[in-house]
Amino acid sequence: MESAKGLYQKLAEFVREDTPVAVATIVRVRGSVPREVGTKMIIHAAGRHLGTVGGGCGEADVIRAGLDVIDMGVPRRVEVDLTEDISMQSLGVCGGIMDVYVERWPATE
Amino acid sequence: MTTPARDDQPPEVTSTLLAELLQSIDEGRPVAMVTVVKAGGNYAAALGRRALVWLDREPSGSLNLDDLEAQVLADATQALIQRRPQMLAYADEQVELFVEVQRRPPTLIIVGAGHVAQPLATLGKLIDFEVVVIDDRPQYANTERFPQADRVIAAPFRPTLRDWPIDADTFIVLVTRGHSHDVECLLEVLDSPARYIGMIGSKRRVRAVFDLLEQEQGIPREKFDRVYAPVGIDIGAESPAEIGVCIIAEVVNVYRGGRAESLSDALRADRHLPLHPTRVQNYG
Repeated sequence: MESAKGLYQKLAEFVREDTPVAVATIVRVRGSVPREVGTKMIIHAAGRHLGTVGGGCGEADVIRAGLDVIDMGVPRRVEVDLTEDISMQSLGVCGGIMDVYVERWPATE
Repeated sequence: MTTPARDDQPPEVTSTLLAELLQSIDEGRPVAMVTVVKAGGNYAAALGRRALVWLDREPSGSLNLDDLEAQVLADATQALIQRRPQMLAYADEQVELFVEVQRRPPTLIIVGAGHVAQPLATLGKLIDFEVVVIDDRPQYANTERFPQADRVIAAPFRPTLRDWPIDADTFIVLVTRGHSHDVECLLEVLDSPARYIGMIGSKRRVRAVFDLLEQEQGIPREKFDRVYAPVGIDIGAESPAEIGVCIIAEVVNVYRGGRAESLSDALRADRHLPLHPTRVQNYG
């Protein structure tokens, strides 16, 4: 599992080599979700992502937001809704909602 | 979409904060990063700003929150004390901040390096604890037997425990080769701030040990209420690996505030029954 320290070390590396990345953090959860508050993920423009906020379709949304945030520089909140009915089409369903804050590091170019 | 007017921290400040954060994590010094994740009205310029707070030094970085700043930093410090990552909201939720608490991983001290200790060490690492194994027999307490442990200490039990910096992030499991050693170690850590003390032994055995300590050493019975003995949760474990799972499950249960029933709950429940002589006799 990716420790906070490992993620921040990697983040420091990206910052040093001037590679803008987005950092997604689960800041609030309601109901049953795959990861706890404080879980982080680094989103990299060329797909060298690190960590996970739970995988599945929800994570795909977060990655998309991350790529956008890398471009625009404006942090945003993504609500990942995992409350759909459980079906064969949506195996990632956990039953809860999580708020994910996505920001760019560094904030300015 | 209009981009809100923002006043970002310059990259060098970001790098400094990141370096300070990493150093604190490295040193095991509690630290929390505060990020403005929502900023409206007069505070719009603060979006995305960060600061670090510690327990033992002044905060670093400015959040640009003017009149709210002092209160926010005080609340973030409180979150750090409680070790709870959380959202803080101010000014009718115009301003929201996320406080990310960094604390070093909890430590699992396995006292005794026998056959239960091995699966315990493996499982302890699996749940991201720092794992320490102590035994006074070097032929048991060595890295060949415990390659997964962070530290393996071959030294006498009591002095090692006495000198160990036990804190509220320390979980102690007493699984030595003999009950006399377990009890000796128990007395050493009974008044420590450890989050968890588990001791192996059957219900009957454990009750006898507590009775003896009460009668012969005058230790009040309530003191033993914190001890998880018999150790573990009730999953019918038999083999050393299964016992390891049953103990680690209890460690997780305590760490995360779960609701699983501990084997020791039965003993605690017994204590609160009326001490009617005929019933007392029935306690084998």
